[in-house]
Amino acid sequence: MYILVLFLPLLSAIISGLFGRKIGTKGAGVLTSSCIVISALVSCCIFYETVLNSSAAYVKLWRWFDSELFTAYFGLQFDSLTAIMLIVVTSVSALVHIYSTGYMSGDPHIPRFMSYLSLFTFLMIVLVTSENYVQLFIGWEGVGLCSYLLINFWLTRIKANKAAMKAMLINRVGDIGLILAMIKILAEFGALDFSTIYSVMSLNEWGDVYSNSVGVNKDSLTIICLLLFLGAVGKSAQLGLHTWLPDAMEGPTPVSALIHAATMVTAGVFLIIRSGPLFEGSPFALTVVTILGALTAFFAATTGVVQNDLKKVIAYSTCSKVGYMVMVCGLSNYSTSLFHLMNHAFFKALLFLSAGSVIHAVSDEQDMRKMGGLLKSIPFTYTMILIGSLSLMGFPYLTGFYSKDLILELTYDKYYVAFAYWLGSFSALLTAFYSMRLIYLTFITDTNLKKEVLTKVHESTWNITLPLLLLAFGSIFVGYLGKEVVISNVIPPMISNSVKVVPLVLSLLGALLAFVIYDRVTRVTGAKGGIRNFVRVNSIRNVRSSFSEEKFEQKSPWTQLFHVVYTFFNSAWQFNYVINHFIVKNVWKFGHLVTYRIIDRGILETIGPKGISKVLISLTQTISNYQSGMVFNYALIMIIFTTFFISGASVL
Amino acid sequence: MYYEYLTVGVILFIFGVLGIVLNRSNLIIMLMSIELMLLAIAFLFLINSIVIDNLIGEIFTLMVLTVAAAESAIGLAILVAYYRVRGTIAVKSLNLLRG
Repeated sequence: MYILVLFLPLLSAIISGLFGRKIGTKGAGVLTSSCIVISALVSCCIFYETVLNSSAAYVKLWRWFDSELFTAYFGLQFDSLTAIMLIVVTSVSALVHIYSTGYMSGDPHIPRFMSYLSLFTFLMIVLVTSENYVQLFIGWEGVGLCSYLLINFWLTRIKANKAAMKAMLINRVGDIGLILAMIKILAEFGALDFSTIYSVMSLNEWGDVYSNSVGVNKDSLTIICLLLFLGAVGKSAQLGLHTWLPDAMEGPTPVSALIHAATMVTAGVFLIIRSGPLFEGSPFALTVVTILGALTAFFAATTGVVQNDLKKVIAYSTCSKVGYMVMVCGLSNYSTSLFHLMNHAFFKALLFLSAGSVIHAVSDEQDMRKMGGLLKSIPFTYTMILIGSLSLMGFPYLTGFYSKDLILELTYDKYYVAFAYWLGSFSALLTAFYSMRLIYLTFITDTNLKKEVLTKVHESTWNITLPLLLLAFGSIFVGYLGKEVVISNVIPPMISNSVKVVPLVLSLLGALLAFVIYDRVTRVTGAKGGIRNFVRVNSIRNVRSSFSEEKFEQKSPWTQLFHVVYTFFNSAWQFNYVINHFIVKNVWKFGHLVTYRIIDRGILETIGPKGISKVLISLTQTISNYQSGMVFNYALIMIIFTTFFISGASVL
Repeated sequence: MYYEYLTVGVILFIFGVLGIVLNRSNLIIMLMSIELMLLAIAFLFLINSIVIDNLIGEIFTLMVLTVAAAESAIGLAILVAYYRVRGTIAVKSLNLLRG
């Protein structure tokens, strides 16, 4: 049973990938979906056995490689962390599979798509069930590869190609960190399986008491943790390496749901949680983790507020939520982080899939400015997205409330990172703001759709709505149900009630603010020209002067300031520009000018093949010139050398 | 005694060599220079056979004379054949086989 949870997704991936032509689109959909559903059921059983009955299971499969000092096994480790991750991954993935049979219907390459989805799920399961870092790395690279394949699913689109390459390459930056961390761990601990490392770490504390006789060097531990964190930064899209995440929206919507809700971005957080004992040994690394997580949460929230693409808003909100998870990891509350991860998976999958449903309904239009007024046409999707958003902003009694408020309270409790608390709280406000903004612009405001599109808006088929319904139940109840299981060991900090309600108040404030602002603006400016309304709201009335009749109006300094701020946030703090301009471009230049032109084509060729052949050819030409064809020259040469020969012979 | 004649032989030989090396105009002069060199060699053989009182030098000289006669006959034949083909016997024009 334990191996079945791995085996089934692999089987469905292989069958659907290799024999997709035989089983057809419908067959591929049914096969892969049912395989993943069974896998989800099996992982529920595993959850029952390993968490509720608290009996962790280790399955040693076979010996992988074996040298004098180091042995690696293929082994599976099912403890409570793995079981919870398994539930999250398989259930969300199963729903995404079912969803994509409906969403992708009509696409000519459904078997391939389902195969990739299943392969992704399989590799993610490999990642979470591995018992050592090497095997974890297989899953780690595998999900990167699958994200490439999935983002690039519509491979004829150049933007999808670019986004996929970006995702793969930026992930690779983090992967280097993970590899270096693995090497360093091997050098320090002599092993790569978790059980050995963590037992050595527990020895380490003992060693500290007795003058550090046993154990690991503190500095190298810090290096290991920072390198591991670099890996997590790449995978979980933390500040600095986050730019791939919004671009990954080029893939189909179920892919975004899978990558951003349950699997890929959570892998980085999973790595931190799994390496928790290591991180515990290095306070410095923990502080770095907290600060970067808080910055990411804040950054992504500010950016999400001004995005106009429906999916990008949700993508930045993912980035922000993952920032929360990382932040609370830095405060050593790994179970809270895991809890948030679990809750987040449900409501973010719900949000993405509902967004997909909306996009499906409005004929593949993703710009929120061109939507609006869908409340009457697709009330079911509206309800789903409302549940998801309320859960996301931490509305009481919904899933997000249980983890998000706890995270903020725990952050408040650690007085030395008050900075992170305020960033986190502020991003809670912004989260509420952009969630409400999304709902308002998509559903409530006057419509900006074309008439022919608006008349055709409809709810989708059952295989799109059913996953939404199930995820909505998840978004409502998972937090309450999972609370005792996951965070039973977290002691809520002793803080006053006034502080305790701050996040809630901020969230409600943000939501109300968004509603009031957008409502008022709509009423003031009337129902004409929704695009212009929107432009006015965000105070960029002069950005697109083609839309605006006040083209020649004198800009007030406030407008200019708003314009600058809006552009700054809308372009995601100019990270893409900075990275492209200062890093990528220079690396390219270096690659072309220095390594290619100077070293490869220059130095190496000159002292290498080209230079040697040049010298040899000119030498032989000079020598062959001595053979002039003139007999007297030959005679002279013969005599000279005969003289040399004779005299040399006599000398010697 | 007779040692001073050795110098004559050597000088004759050097003249022959110089005749080959410096001559650029006429192929016949080259043949004549070769004859001169062979003559010098034969002369040296004779002197040495007298100096060391040994007959082998003279026998050798006879052989050298024979070889020289045959060589000049073949050389002249080549020269005639060459002249028939090229119409000139200048050494300078003998450069078809340059490297």
